[in-house]
Amino acid sequence: MRKERPNSFVIAEAGKCIGCKACELACFAVHNRDNGVAAAVGTVTMPVIPRLYVIRTDSFTMPVQCRHCENAPCAGVCPVQAIVQEEGAITIDEDRCIGCKACAMACPFGAISLYKAYSSGQEHKQPHLREQLNGRLERKTRVIAYKCDLCHDIASDGNTASGEIAGAGAVNNSGSLTEGGGGPVPACASVCPEQALTLVSPSFGASRSRKAAGLRL
Amino acid sequence: MKNKVLTICPYCGSGCHMNLLVEDGKVVGAEPADGRTNEGNLCLKGHYGWDFLNDPQILTARLRKPMIRKEGVLREVSWEEAIQFTAEKLTAIKEQYGPDAIMGTGSARGPGNEANYVMQKFMRAVIGTNNIDHCARVCHGPSVAGLTYSLGDGAMSNSIPEIEDTDLLFIFGYNAPVTHPIVARRIVKAKEKGATIIVSDPRKTELARIADTWLPLKGGTNMALVNAFGNVLIEEELYDKDYVANYVEGFAEYKESVKKYTPEYAETITGVKANDIRKVMRQYAKSNKAMILYGMGVCQFAQAVDVVKGLASLALLTGNFGRPSVGIGPVRGQNNVQGSCDMGALPNVYPGYQSVTDPKIRKKFEKAWGVMLPDKTGYHLTEIPHLVLKENKVKAYYIFGEDPVQSDPNAAEVRETLEKMEFVIVQDIFMNKTALHADVILPATSWGEHEGVYSSADRGFQRIRKAVDPPGDVKPDWQIISELSTAMGYPMSYKNTEEIWDEMRALCPKFAGASYKRMEEQGGVQWPCPSEDHPGTPYLYEGNRFSTPNGKGRLFACEWRAPLEQPDQEYPLTLSTVREVGHYSVRTMTGNCRALSQLSDEPGNIQVSPVDASSLGITDGQLVRIISRRGRIVARAQISDRVKAGATYMTYHFWIGACNELTGDALDPISKTPEYKYCAIRLERIPDQLRAEEKVRQQYESLRKQMHVGAGQA
Ligand code: SF4
Ligand code: SF4
Ligand code: SF4
Repeated sequence: MRKERPNSFVIAEAGKCIGCKACELACFAVHNRDNGVAAAVGTVTMPVIPRLYVIRTDSFTMPVQCRHCENAPCAGVCPVQAIVQEEGAITIDEDRCIGCKACAMACPFGAISLYKAYSSGQEHKQPHLREQLNGRLERKTRVIAYKCDLCHDIASDGNTASGEIAGAGAVNNSGSLTEGGGGPVPACASVCPEQALTLVSPSFGASRSRKAAGLRL
Repeated sequence: MKNKVLTICPYCGSGCHMNLLVEDGKVVGAEPADGRTNEGNLCLKGHYGWDFLNDPQILTARLRKPMIRKEGVLREVSWEEAIQFTAEKLTAIKEQYGPDAIMGTGSARGPGNEANYVMQKFMRAVIGTNNIDHCARVCHGPSVAGLTYSLGDGAMSNSIPEIEDTDLLFIFGYNAPVTHPIVARRIVKAKEKGATIIVSDPRKTELARIADTWLPLKGGTNMALVNAFGNVLIEEELYDKDYVANYVEGFAEYKESVKKYTPEYAETITGVKANDIRKVMRQYAKSNKAMILYGMGVCQFAQAVDVVKGLASLALLTGNFGRPSVGIGPVRGQNNVQGSCDMGALPNVYPGYQSVTDPKIRKKFEKAWGVMLPDKTGYHLTEIPHLVLKENKVKAYYIFGEDPVQSDPNAAEVRETLEKMEFVIVQDIFMNKTALHADVILPATSWGEHEGVYSSADRGFQRIRKAVDPPGDVKPDWQIISELSTAMGYPMSYKNTEEIWDEMRALCPKFAGASYKRMEEQGGVQWPCPSEDHPGTPYLYEGNRFSTPNGKGRLFACEWRAPLEQPDQEYPLTLSTVREVGHYSVRTMTGNCRALSQLSDEPGNIQVSPVDASSLGITDGQLVRIISRRGRIVARAQISDRVKAGATYMTYHFWIGACNELTGDALDPISKTPEYKYCAIRLERIPDQLRAEEKVRQQYESLRKQMHVGAGQA
């Protein structure tokens, strides 16, 4: 369905955002269920890795994240083709990523960051590369690029638990967030207490603007 | 199979409804529910703040068994031994020094209203003293005192949902996005619906950023600004003459007091442009519905009560009471600080704000409880260090669900006070800094493990429910206090919290109709609720009848006084304590939640202006040393262009960067609330950052060890 039109993306309204970072935590939690986050037993020691970043300047507060560009510059520079266009989203294949940082440099929004990779709550070590650690040669942790994937993999098994994907129009998003096409709402948008985040479908946006312009005539 | 248990968030006073998701006897998640104030939204603490129930031992360990200090070390004992020992010690101290040598606290956190009711009853009926107080003293004490004087009730006159339908919001020293994200949501909505937002705050907070007008006043000049507002209302005849004539008293004196505070004069003190002062008062007076909201930026000063009365006077002068979406809202910071006040965990009132010095009321309680009750007001919590160290008057301290070493000003003095006491009882859920000084530790059940009622910031009684069984050998707070009371010869035997609640309702006319059944049916009941067929009261003072003795609102203004400790050459910067959105109070709960503790962790931050940072040679993220006349600590510099030169801000949640090692103990003379928002400090650059980082790490480790982290999970 999404293939017929430009990629959707999530955008924040600065006038509503209060900088509370609920969106950052929700994004982190929903992407790290395999790392035990939001499960009850044991302590996860991995750091919070969000895929959108609340920025604060003198006069501005709002999260910035991937725009899912049609001609994605990050994909253009990726030497191993780890970045692909997939069902209306630009996604990074984290297994393939070699951590070369080219995408992070190319992204005009600063939407990509490099962090350590984790699996089952443990740092994910490389098979061959070693580094000096505590006076010994130890296997180096993989570092990979992370960015918003529109909750791509997770959206299909939508679940209303905390930080997970709420169905559109769930009690906490009073209808206004379903513009992206009536599908599941991304984690960040579904937890934002200010309803500052919207999943936008550009075609919908454009037709709305045209209609509004027409009405003004 | 996941079970859902409907309850109320244990953090701020927004009182959000939520479902705890329970699987195999463990909480595994939380989801928003449709409450009156939150309408299916939660902030990040609501979403991710339940994790501490699983005792992950990130910061501190859960208390699992009663302990008694023997030969200097806390040792686990049986409940019988702990209760017997505590009862004997308290009885002996009472016999030797009299009941007033014993001080007790209520708890504005998880225990709920019933436990607070039982605690104040224990102090009054069993010990025989009114020495009961709680942490409202260090936050909204001035609101209770000031608004009771001006209007008759010390609570929000409006309700949270009404905020979004007002025409003008005048927000004073209150940063809702950080303290109450769910209230901030109403403010954002009000703005979208066309309301004018005016924010007065020395920092460019998130609210200041979205405001139509921001008044960046100099810290500690509130009274001068509020007086100038009154001056404009009167000089320009903007006030509501009919309203003042009919419902308000004290106009002549008020007019006289504010005369001197012309906007030009106030500008020289506050730094706010005279024209801006005029502009916002014209807007305020002109709007149909205007609401004042305020927070700690008003209350945590040594002139707090005067400013609260001054703010109430502005609303009185413009007739902004007795209708929906008008009034004045002191927005309560802790989930149940309103409730602990409601339940009479205060030295001057019984439950339901009934005075301990009124003989008729005392008779009523004496009859109900079957004892003679003391007739004089008890000690204030913040006076205890002085009463112990200087006057040698208080010998025993029963600290219930509080951590004064972390939360009260001048931590060194608090520690000295606890050391000097003959007997310290700590009743809590986690090991904390205060418990290190305890003679007895009584471990209690936590939010999520017991039943009860909380009061939201806007006077709403709401039910909390048990979702999981507690770990270890712990008991509900009300049960511990009842057992202690019984051991001291005053039998208390409640079957459940509802029985306690019904006893309380029978004694408090304002709360009489708020039964468990009504709360269940309506989701909550806002007091006053005098009878079971009364729906509760969203806004106060209908018909402009105030709860003061003669039913009239009282105007008040007085001279501005500068904060007590001023910066000088040696300590050139000012320090104000603030909050962080992902953490709560002394952090034993949020610091033990994985997601929240990752978001920001020890040693905590100090916000500094770029000007001060560059003159000191400090870069963003560096560790810095912070020194005041009372102590020194290390924290991380956070350089922010939202902060004025000369001022710094620290969040008070952190244990290494504990700003209360620095803060002063100057008190408001009436409410005895400390001046947390203003003291003098000096910042020092630390040249060897690597070593400093290492030291912070070591300090954190040793702290965690003291907190019994790793001592084995049962
Ligand atoms: S959750 Fe919403 S209000 Fe909070 S930071 Fe994210 S976008 Fe802003
Ligand atoms: S859409 Fe999903 S992946 Fe993207 S920022 Fe939001 S929560 Fe993260
Ligand atoms: S902390 Fe306050 S705003 Fe956040 S969910 Fe809890 S009650 Fe609501």
